[in-house]
Amino acid sequence: MKQQQQAFALPPGAPSIDAMIAAENRRARKRLWTALAFMAPAIGFVAIFLLLPVFFNLYASLTQWAKFSGLNQFAGLANYQRLASNPKFYDATWNTLIWVGVSFVLPATIGLSLAMLVRGVKGEETFKSIFFLPRMFSATAVGVVWYYVYANEGIINSGLRAVGLGDLANRWLYESHLATPAMIVTHIWQQVGLMMVLLLIGLNALPSEPMEAAKVDGASRSQIFRHIVLPLLMPTLIMVTTVSVLAGFTSFDLVWVMGRDFPNRSTLTLSVNQYWESFRAGYWAYGSAIAVVLGVIAMSISWSLGALQHRLDKR
Amino acid sequence: MSVTTFDLASLDFDAIARRNDQARIQRIVMFSVTAILALAWLTPFYYLAISIFKSNAEYGMGSPLALPTSFAPVIENITEAWSKAKMGSGMLNSLLYGLVGGAAAIFIAALASYGLTRIDFRGKGFWFMLIFSGTIFPLQMYLIPLFMGYNKLGLTNSRLGMMLFYTAVCIPFPVLVLRNYMAGLPREMDEAARIDGCSEFRIFRSIVLPNCWAPMATLFLIQFTWIWNDLIFSMVLTNREDARSLMNGLMVLQGSYANTTPNVVMTATLLASLPSVLLFLLLRKYFMNGLKLQSL
Repeated sequence: MKQQQQAFALPPGAPSIDAMIAAENRRARKRLWTALAFMAPAIGFVAIFLLLPVFFNLYASLTQWAKFSGLNQFAGLANYQRLASNPKFYDATWNTLIWVGVSFVLPATIGLSLAMLVRGVKGEETFKSIFFLPRMFSATAVGVVWYYVYANEGIINSGLRAVGLGDLANRWLYESHLATPAMIVTHIWQQVGLMMVLLLIGLNALPSEPMEAAKVDGASRSQIFRHIVLPLLMPTLIMVTTVSVLAGFTSFDLVWVMGRDFPNRSTLTLSVNQYWESFRAGYWAYGSAIAVVLGVIAMSISWSLGALQHRLDKR
Repeated sequence: MSVTTFDLASLDFDAIARRNDQARIQRIVMFSVTAILALAWLTPFYYLAISIFKSNAEYGMGSPLALPTSFAPVIENITEAWSKAKMGSGMLNSLLYGLVGGAAAIFIAALASYGLTRIDFRGKGFWFMLIFSGTIFPLQMYLIPLFMGYNKLGLTNSRLGMMLFYTAVCIPFPVLVLRNYMAGLPREMDEAARIDGCSEFRIFRSIVLPNCWAPMATLFLIQFTWIWNDLIFSMVLTNREDARSLMNGLMVLQGSYANTTPNVVMTATLLASLPSVLLFLLLRKYFMNGLKLQSL
């Protein structure tokens, strides 16, 4: 008993327990400040150039700001009401929905097919690079090239004429029912290589035992793919879908380059509509409101796909 | 003792050979399909590549996929594209934005990741989320406030303004990657240095940073190409030739149909894309590694 107490007793001259706690707190505070000093540049840049604008954008969308005045006049939700009554906004929303719907399904599906096709084929690395190559070009460059691909005397029309299908030749970017699909085809041509590479990374990371076990049990290739590969690949597929939907949803450069001079601008998407209303027409508050709508949609897409991912992880 | 007997004639020895044949045919079919698809994929590039060798008249006449009659017109195309799109200054600007913005962003992200992983303090999650929240908003939400703020500060049409913004927008993603990477480095190294009396910055510079070159190089490539290929921020924050990026110049050139022919615009397109594409072809491994980072 006595000895145990001895062990707890502080040696003579040592600081008291309280002093030691205080010293540890001081050290913890010092560590916090050191860490903050390391993070300060990042926090500063992000706060000033990214977060502050987002809040200002939210505020501006509630004002009457247009041309050079009105930033101090509160408008409530009037800008959002104006969205609801603007046919241009409807057009843009409808086109954006098409973009989102297509990017939900096609890039991941085509990317997966390409991945299955390319995997193990002779010259796999070369083929991978070829399919990925369009990604290395900017959307601007791709838009310019495809603008001419779709032109009257472009390669698609002259190709159709060469094989005797001249009737199918069209002004691809200047028909309201064709322009959006045409731009989406270009977008997919550019993006699918990325999806393929991401899916190949996922495929190569899968464990091989379940597939071999199924093969021994006599499962066919399509059975193995449907019941083993696909479920295991689900997290990667969701990630790829998120990337592709957000890319399709906010794509600006491509639509701007390929579709900005469509009569009436009825084939533009929300992101281009936002640019037009604010930077061409000067309706700053209204443009801010469109940006907020875009932000809400983007965040709900990534949030719901993230939640789905989380549910799968838990299982 | 029983002897098992086989009826040799009933055994199908050819089955293995036939299966091998089948597998070979399957491989050939897969290869041909892939090759045909790859050729289709490359058609726009082929179109781009031959168009730069055609003169205005030649482009207007024959089939767009016909081979050019001579290589000579390319010189004239390049000079016209170069001067009309102001590609000299555009190229320098884009290079400046990409190099400075990318490098600064990754250095700042490495600093932040060091603070987030190598020092113990409370509220790490909060500070990380604060930095990472820079990736959750669509870029459209930044445009109007940035334009107005830059106008007020006189930063529109300035190279400094462009570099500052590109640095900021390229910070959050590398923080995510480098934080995961640094968390995996053993902490014994910096504890030892700390006992020897090294300052935190010294530990960062001499111990942690040298171990992070590989992911940092890959991240730099990703951010450099992003900045090089960006159009919208250059469109919003610059409208003068001396500060605008190469892609902006290309977009303006494409918009002025009246006096530029497709062959010239395509020449400009190829010239503007060459740096990032060459970078990809030379450093393919690093880019593919970068995609691995992205998919984690």
